[in-house]
Amino acid sequence: MEIAVERGRKRRPVGSGIRWTSVVTTLFGIALIVLLHWMVFFWVNTEATMGIVQRIFYVHVPAMWVAFLAFGIAALSSAVYLWLRDERLDMAAVAACEGGMLFTTVGLITGSLWGKIAWGTYWEWDPRLTLTLLLWFIYLGYFMVRAATENPERGRRLSAVIAIVGALDIPLIHVSVLWFRSLHPQPVVLDTRQPMNLDSDMLLTLMIGLLAFTVLFLGVIGFRYGLERSRRTLDIRLARRTA
Amino acid sequence: MVAQAPAVNRARRLRLALATVSLLAPVLTSVLAPGAAAAQATELGRQTLGRPYWHVFIAYALAWLLIGWWVVSIARRLTRVERRLDSE
Repeated sequence: MEIAVERGRKRRPVGSGIRWTSVVTTLFGIALIVLLHWMVFFWVNTEATMGIVQRIFYVHVPAMWVAFLAFGIAALSSAVYLWLRDERLDMAAVAACEGGMLFTTVGLITGSLWGKIAWGTYWEWDPRLTLTLLLWFIYLGYFMVRAATENPERGRRLSAVIAIVGALDIPLIHVSVLWFRSLHPQPVVLDTRQPMNLDSDMLLTLMIGLLAFTVLFLGVIGFRYGLERSRRTLDIRLARRTA
Repeated sequence: MVAQAPAVNRARRLRLALATVSLLAPVLTSVLAPGAAAAQATELGRQTLGRPYWHVFIAYALAWLLIGWWVVSIARRLTRVERRLDSE
C-alpha cells in the first residue's frame, strides 16, 4: 500500500498538514514546559512535610500520566487494527508505544530519586513500582516481538495483542495503592474516597504540568507517526524495485 | 533644657548598654554556653544545597535529557529515511 502524499513534484510520505500540526503543537508544548519550570522553581509553595524534594512530583506525575495515555492509545489503535487491518492504526500504535516507553522510563527514574530521599532507598518491591516495571517490560516485549518476527504482518498482529494485554496493567497500577499495603503515596487528585487535600497553587502547577506533557507528547508523536509512514513507504518502494 | 539633661544622659547610657550587650552577646554565649554556640556554628556551616536539592535537579535534568534525546533521535531517523526516499 503506497501511503505517499503528492507534494509538488516529489512524493513525500508525511503530509504537510501532519507536519505543521506537529510543529505548532510541539512549540506550544515547549512554551508550556517553560511556564511549568518557572512555576516549579520560582512560584509554587514548598510542601511542609517532604520539603523541596516534593517538587519532583510535578515531573513524575505528568510523565506517568502521559505514559498511560500513550499505552491507552496504543491498545485502542491495536484493537481496531486487529478488526479493520488498517496499517495506519498499527503505525499510530508503534508511535504511541515508543512514547509510552520513554515516559515510563522518566517516571521510574524520577520516582526512584524521590524515593531515595523519602524512603531512604532508590527501589522497593512495592506493588505499584513492581507493576509499573512490569508494564515497561511488557512494552519492551512489544518491540522485541516486532523485531524478531520474520513475517511483518504476523509481527504486527502479535504485537497488537501484547499492546492490548499490556494496557490491562494500567488500571491495576492505579488501584494497587488502594488494594495492597503500599509505600507509594495514595492518590491526591483521583481519590474518590475523600475530598482533595492539595493546595490550590500545587494543584494549578500539577495541571499545567499535565497539560504541558500531554501537548508535548501529542506534538512529538505526530513526527514519530510520520517517521513510521516514511519507513513503510520506503520499504514498499524497495520491495517493488527488488520484485 | 538644663533640667532635661539627666534624662537625656540616662537614655544615652541605656542605648549604649543595649548596643554593648548585643555586640557582646555572641561572645558571651560562646563563653557561657560553648556547646550551644558550637552547635549553632555547625548548623550554619551545614547550610549548603543538600541532597534533596540535588535529587530534584538530577530528576529534572534526566527527564529532559531523555525527552530531548527521543526528539533528536526521531528527527535524525526521519531525515535519514526522507533522504533515502528522495534518492529513490
